[in-house]
Amino acid sequence: MAEMDIHSNEESVPFYPDHVTIEAKVVLGLSALALVIGLIGLFAPVGLGEPADPMNTPAHVKPEWYFLGLYQLLKYISKTMGAVLPVAAVLVITFWPFIDRKPDTTSKAYRWRAIAVSVFMVILIAMTIWGEVS
Amino acid sequence: MKITTRRSYLLASLGVILVILVLFFGTTGQSQAGSAIPENQPTGETTTDWTQVKTLFAQGAHLVTPSRYTAASLPPAEQDPCLHCHITGEETSLWTPLVRWVFFGGAGLLFAFGIYRSSSVWVSREPWKPITTRAIEWVDSRYDVAEPLSKFLSKPVPKFAQRWWYCLGGITAFLFVVQGITGIMLAFYYKPTPDAAFASIQFIETQVNFGSGVRMIHHWSANLMIIMCTAHMIRVFIMGAYKKPREFNWISGVLLLLLSLGFGLTGYLLPWDQRAYWATTVATEIGAAIPVIGSLILVFARVGWDVAAQTLSRFYALHILILPLVTIASMAAHFVMVRRLGIAKPL
Repeated sequence: MAEMDIHSNEESVPFYPDHVTIEAKVVLGLSALALVIGLIGLFAPVGLGEPADPMNTPAHVKPEWYFLGLYQLLKYISKTMGAVLPVAAVLVITFWPFIDRKPDTTSKAYRWRAIAVSVFMVILIAMTIWGEVS
Repeated sequence: MKITTRRSYLLASLGVILVILVLFFGTTGQSQAGSAIPENQPTGETTTDWTQVKTLFAQGAHLVTPSRYTAASLPPAEQDPCLHCHITGEETSLWTPLVRWVFFGGAGLLFAFGIYRSSSVWVSREPWKPITTRAIEWVDSRYDVAEPLSKFLSKPVPKFAQRWWYCLGGITAFLFVVQGITGIMLAFYYKPTPDAAFASIQFIETQVNFGSGVRMIHHWSANLMIIMCTAHMIRVFIMGAYKKPREFNWISGVLLLLLSLGFGLTGYLLPWDQRAYWATTVATEIGAAIPVIGSLILVFARVGWDVAAQTLSRFYALHILILPLVTIASMAAHFVMVRRLGIAKPL
C-alpha cells in the first residue's frame, strides 16, 4: 500500500529482531502475571457456589459484569427499546468506518472522538457499577 | 554425491546401530541372569515355595550381599515392575535407571556422533556443516520457505508503533493463547453434564495438581481479555485507524469483541453452580427482549424454554469448538490485514 512506501529506514525498525524483541518482552511480562495469578489461585481459588437448582431462585440474580450495564438498562426502559437500542448501537459501531469516511486532517477529530468515547465509557461504567450495587 | 560415499555413510551408521544393539542386548541379558527369577518349570520338578519366598523377603533377604543369594531367597517377580531396569536388591525407583540411561546414553550418542562426523569429513573431503544448517537446507529444499519467511521477518515496523498503546491488540491475542492452553488443560477434567459438571470443577479445584491455579488463570485472563479488547478498540477509534483502507479490519475487530463476549457467556455457565445458572438465565433473557426474533434466540440459546442439560451441552460445544474456530479464523484475517496494510500513521 501507499503508506508502506513512506516508511523509510530512519522512521522504521525491522520486524525481526527489533519488534519481535519488544513483543517477546510483553509476552514475558504477561506470562509472569499469569504465573502470579495462578499462584494466588493455589491459595485462594476462584471457588464454587451452591450447585445449580432451577427450583430455587437466589435473591440477587445478576449476569456477568460485561452484560451488567445492559441488564440495568433493560430494567428501566421499555423492553422493546432496551433490545433495539443495543442492537442498533452494535450495528452502528460495526459499520462506523462507512459512516465516518472523511480522512483526518487535524487533531481536532481525535479530540472529538476521545470525548465521545469517554462519555460512552463513563455511562457504561456507571451503569455497570449501578447494576453491581443495586 | 557418489555412490561409494553413500555406501560408507550407510556402513558407518549400520556399525553404530550394531554396537548399540549389542550393548543393549548385553546389558539386558546380564541383568536378567543376575536377577535369576525363579521359573515354574512345566515338568513340575521344581516348584517355588512362595510362602517361603515371602517370609524371606519380609526378613530382608533381598538386602543382603549377592553371594548369599539362593533362588528361593529372591523377591517374587511382581515386587519389581521392571526387573531388567534394576540390579537385584537395589531400590526400585524410576530415577536410578533413568539417570543411568540419560548419562551413559548421552555419552554413547555423543561418541557415535563423533565417529559419524569424522567419517563424513574423511569421506566427503568437505568441512562439516552444523546440524542446524543441514536442517534448514533440508526443509528449504522441500518447502521453499526461506525467501518468503525472510521477506516477512524483515518487513519494517514504523517507529511510532513502539508506543505502549499499540501493543493492546497484541496483549489480547496473547491472552487468547493463554485461554486456549489453560482451557485445554481444564477440558481434560471437565464433564459437561448437569450431574457431573459441578463435581468435576470441585475435583479440579481440590484434587488436580495446580488445578485451582489453572482455573484462576483461565478466569482472570477471560476478564482481562475483554478489557484489553475494549481498550484496543478505543485506541483504534480515537486515532481513526479504522478509516480507508482498514474498514474491514475494524469490522473483524468488532466481531472479535462479540466473540469474546460469547466466550464469556458460554463459559460462565460451565461450573453449573447457582451463580452460573441464574446469570445465564438472566443473560439469555436479554436476548429474548428483541421484538420479533427474541423468543427464537432464547429457544435456540437454551435449547428449550429453560436452562437445562441441553443448554450446558450446547454452551460447551460453542465454548470449546465453534467459537474458537471462528475466533481463530477472524484473528487470522485481522492479522493478515494488519501485516499487509501496515499500521495506520497517526497525525
